Amino acid sequence: MPLDTSTYGLALLRLDGRRWNELRRIEAQISTQAAADGSSYLEMGNTKVICTVAGPTEGRRGAGAGGGSSVTTASGTEVKVEISVAGFSGVDRKKRARGDKRTAEMQTTIANAFASTLFTHLYPHSSIIITLQILSQDGALLAACINASTLALIDAGIPMADYTVACTAGSTSSYAANDESADPLLDLNGVEEQELPFLTVGTLGTTEKVSVLVMETRCQASRLESMLAVGVDGCKQVREILDAVVRSRGKKMLEDKIA
Amino acid sequence: MSTQSLAIPGQPLGPLSKHKPGPGTYVSSSQLFASIAGIQSVTSSDSGDASTVTISSAPIAATNVLPCVDAEVLARVTRITPRQATVAILVIGESVCADEFQGLIRVQDVRATEKDRVKIFESFRPGDIVRAQVISLGDQSNYYLSTASNKLGVIMATSEAGNAMYPTSWKEFKDPVTGQAEPRKVAKPF
Repeated sequence: MPLDTSTYGLALLRLDGRRWNELRRIEAQISTQAAADGSSYLEMGNTKVICTVAGPTEGRRGAGAGGGSSVTTASGTEVKVEISVAGFSGVDRKKRARGDKRTAEMQTTIANAFASTLFTHLYPHSSIIITLQILSQDGALLAACINASTLALIDAGIPMADYTVACTAGSTSSYAANDESADPLLDLNGVEEQELPFLTVGTLGTTEKVSVLVMETRCQASRLESMLAVGVDGCKQVREILDAVVRSRGKKMLEDKIA
Repeated sequence: MSTQSLAIPGQPLGPLSKHKPGPGTYVSSSQLFASIAGIQSVTSSDSGDASTVTISSAPIAATNVLPCVDAEVLARVTRITPRQATVAILVIGESVCADEFQGLIRVQDVRATEKDRVKIFESFRPGDIVRAQVISLGDQSNYYLSTASNKLGVIMATSEAGNAMYPTSWKEFKDPVTGQAEPRKVAKPF
């Protein structure tokens, strides 16, 4: 059953006190690890992700082993994504196997998204490896991973067409409850994600071009449009936040250059 | 002419009719965009038609000094064995290193005289700060250091009780709290 029908119906406030179109707190840092070519740390609510980027490095043929999913573009550039989920990241301590299907799908989704927006033709036959460590999960895992990867790739200085930013959107009513007056919700937390249908949408920067769209739950087709609209709108807000992070980093770069 | 400002990926930089794309930019629907985050510079061409926009993301403050032979370094002792002391080089000359380098003080390089009576554990302890001189670039992983001079040796040390000690002679530090003396290869104070 929808977890918050009673309270939501009355005050239009969700479990954590947000309104339908409010994002959770997003905090991010860039260049967190000196040893990596690019790195970032991102928090979306209580979801916490570390991302490191290695590359572009010389591609190693037949080095497909070692986990992770990779996409090879037309120029022969390999974009590889490896996600590791910390055992302590969830509510109950659960070890995800290496070949976990959900993890594998996230890896493939992220690899595909960045293979299309990165200018891989500038680095033929090389590999770009994105490593994601999930420290804490509370909803919007894929979105957090995509946003963290974007920041780390910018830090690594890999040319790209635009930011790929992502967030989730859901609907207040489950599939079974044939509720006509279901509202769309922005950025579901972990509890909401378990109860309600939701999708993850990723767009290219300020444009409304959708580059990632993943939906794992069932939802009535009539609600999809409003969910998508809210999600795309949320992506714009996320973009503003990531922008500020990159700009504050860039400001430091300018100051250092002058000094 | 050259102006400096910050550009981030996807940021519009102007129409293609006014600017030419340089490194770090791309063209989409006759509009120039940034493809990396970095410092944007516009350089006008001599022929006077269109200026070129380039973006460079210079690595931040890459003032990485490297140890060279004869350089005086400050290092922290990380590990001792009867034959050598392993140190982490923190400061080279006047400049602080961005990341530490591993160095090695072999037992025969600790002091200039009576080399065969030197015992590493009577000269250094892990945690000591040592002033030393680079004598060789060493092997793959270590710089070889020497403290064979009066002015070289331990300059800061903590006792086994954990107190900062003061030097009392060329081979002894003293704990001001417990009064315990500990042997070290002491650097001559200036």
